[in-house]
Amino acid sequence: MRKGICLIAFSLLLALGAVMAQELPDTLISLEAVVIIGVEVPEQAYPIDDIHRLEIDVLPTKDIGELMRQIPNVNGIRKGGAVLDPVVRGFKYSQLNVQLNGGQKIEGGCPNRMDPATAHVDVDDIRALEVIKGPFALRYGPNFGGVVNMKTVQPLPQRVFGVNVGAMMGYESNWNGFKQRFSVDGGNDKVFFSLSGNMKKFRDYEDGNGKEVKSSFDRYNYTAQLGVSPIKNNYLILSYDRSYGRNVNFPALPMDEREDNTYMASLDYKAIKVSNTFTEFNAKFYISDVSHLMDNKERPFSDTVVAVSDIQARNYGFRMDGSFDFGENIFVFGTDYEHILKDGERNKTKILEPTMPSMKEDLWNDAQIQNNGLFVLYRRVFGKFTLDAAMRADFNRATSGELKLVKMGNEVYKDSDVESNYTNISASVGGQFHFSKKFVLKLALGRGVRSPDMSERFIMFLPVGYDNYDYLGNPQLKPEANNEIDLSAILTFAKAGTIEGGFFFSYVTDYITGMLVPESVARPQTTGVYGVKKFYNEDHVYLRGFELTYQTPKKYNWGIRARAACTRGINPEATKYIIENGEVTGTETVKNDPLPEIPPLEGAVDVYYRFFDGKLIPNINVRMVASQNQLSEAYMEEKSPGFILLNFNFSYEFNTYLKLTGGVSNILDKAYYEHLNRHIIGGKGNLYEPGRVFYLSVYFNI
Amino acid sequence: MKKILYIIPLIFILFSCQKSKEKQVSYIITKSISGFDVNYRVADGSLVKQSIEAASAQDRWQYSFTAEEGDIVFVSAIYTDISSAINVQILIDGKVYKQGSSSQDTVRYVTVSGTVPFQ
Repeated sequence: MRKGICLIAFSLLLALGAVMAQELPDTLISLEAVVIIGVEVPEQAYPIDDIHRLEIDVLPTKDIGELMRQIPNVNGIRKGGAVLDPVVRGFKYSQLNVQLNGGQKIEGGCPNRMDPATAHVDVDDIRALEVIKGPFALRYGPNFGGVVNMKTVQPLPQRVFGVNVGAMMGYESNWNGFKQRFSVDGGNDKVFFSLSGNMKKFRDYEDGNGKEVKSSFDRYNYTAQLGVSPIKNNYLILSYDRSYGRNVNFPALPMDEREDNTYMASLDYKAIKVSNTFTEFNAKFYISDVSHLMDNKERPFSDTVVAVSDIQARNYGFRMDGSFDFGENIFVFGTDYEHILKDGERNKTKILEPTMPSMKEDLWNDAQIQNNGLFVLYRRVFGKFTLDAAMRADFNRATSGELKLVKMGNEVYKDSDVESNYTNISASVGGQFHFSKKFVLKLALGRGVRSPDMSERFIMFLPVGYDNYDYLGNPQLKPEANNEIDLSAILTFAKAGTIEGGFFFSYVTDYITGMLVPESVARPQTTGVYGVKKFYNEDHVYLRGFELTYQTPKKYNWGIRARAACTRGINPEATKYIIENGEVTGTETVKNDPLPEIPPLEGAVDVYYRFFDGKLIPNINVRMVASQNQLSEAYMEEKSPGFILLNFNFSYEFNTYLKLTGGVSNILDKAYYEHLNRHIIGGKGNLYEPGRVFYLSVYFNI
Repeated sequence: MKKILYIIPLIFILFSCQKSKEKQVSYIITKSISGFDVNYRVADGSLVKQSIEAASAQDRWQYSFTAEEGDIVFVSAIYTDISSAINVQILIDGKVYKQGSSSQDTVRYVTVSGTVPFQ
């Protein structure tokens, strides 16, 4: 009945749009918001990829991780219907610096990363998604493998007071998924504001074999932002976001997200043209608070033991930077601070025993990490050559309550040595040589150092890795360093288009991975795992790869976009554990073992045509992914088959008030899974991607 | 006026797709001829222990409460009369969710439990 009401209302909206299209003059121009607050980076010697709102609108995107698959050499680890955990050039988890609006950090609650930072931001709030590859950009905090900057829509001052109302409603078949957005923004040149809310309700999808995948989720959020500009060139924005996740299924994890309640607040200040020398000042203060509840109630094992984990994760901090022009020398000086606090426990209730006993185990025991950073950037243009250099120092300290596990009165494990302090130095230098308008060559060298994260330091007996082991944190882990070189070039031809491509090589020292510990030290606590691995620093590994893109000139009505990318990772000397009858019976050294969870060679081609002055743009997309044969023996990684997908999307701008987007993804209803998709828990095989999906969204702006 | 025409159906849509997730749970114990001890989980999550007297196998003990999806439902009973029997049921919204029984077994509890299924 309610679906019927939704459809009637949806039809009513379409009808109203048609009426408005006929009656309203096309004299009003809808202005897309531009960012005022935040850091806008000029062209750099290292690769920066971004996706903008208009590109996002035409995709059947439910979350940011899924959206990131559009970027060359970026993929995501799928564990459920939504919330893919990003992987950039083979780097993942804390090897990536994921942040909101150029500085706000978010610490997810789940040790198994069912809620990475990208999960706490609604994709329909995104104005642009920026991925800065490599360890070169050092103004955003410690950067090891890349920065993912989620830029959300922010209010902007307007010359004349006005109020805009925007709305979106979308539907996806297969998932029976609804998504909605409503926003109001306005103000004048002194005071400006925005209010918005999003809701997503998706049910289980069917894969290409017609099998239902338990992948449903409900997510919603609202955001309120207020900006003031009391003095010319000075801007202050206060933002508050509240987001909720409910019953988010993760068939490839031991638990599902039952409730996630998150709030994020920030205060941003920006001053431009402070003086002739002091050109810009940015400051951001923020807090992110995640309350995350998950359980195994929809797993078969819950017939015996019901496990509920409740985790609180808080992250607060600031960043400030000032830009100075000393003649031809441009400097940016800055500082940042981040404090992560995490606490939580798992409650197990044995529901088959007559007295229903329950027990509590710490997942995090008041764990804390603080990081103070100082950085300086330098830029100078020497004719056709632009030089960029950056350096940052991080002072990192961590502590936690005792790492102790007690069962039935017996101490199973204890580690009291929980404090660590590190000083990390990161640096990068790069140059862009503009040989001509047609040819630009770029070279960047950098070293990015990151301190171990919460899990690597303090996790207690949880199967958080790709492999089937319980993991133990190691508070005394050393920081991991990425030494990378990146060479790229841009070739531009007025009639033929633009080709951009490059290679990178990363030499990672003190690589953080797991090593099996004897059962006399730690016995596994999870049913079915082979043993316990403790995080340690491997001597070194290396990764290398390339990215190549092509785009026809935008002056033509027709266009082609193409991209290809690949990464290979190698551990020169990995340890493989031999498993017999579910137990580790020996070890073996594997030379030049590929690193696990690296996506295979992938390419995509888009062909589009702009009809009616660009009002209607149909686009055909072919995505080709090779089989992954570079498999880690040490991690018992399995081969994934290649696949080719055919997709179609379109956007139709009815008028300035109404836009339709839609399409069909996986037109051929191919049954496939990505190499990074985790296995379904309970021996049910691979987690397949959705089969054919028809989708349609309608956007209003009045 | 035209802006309002747009906004009304939008608000209608935003608030039209809600559903109640409350369930009516009942624990039912029958077939005991002389009484039994029962442990059961109540709405606030605590465990209640009771001794129930029964006059005949036709006597029926029942406890009902409102639960939400995902709540644990638990009832466990045992009897002391070797000639007795017991049937333990959990009903959710009037339908049998799980049940268990025993006869002439005064050693083992009949425990029926689970979580209120999600839709």
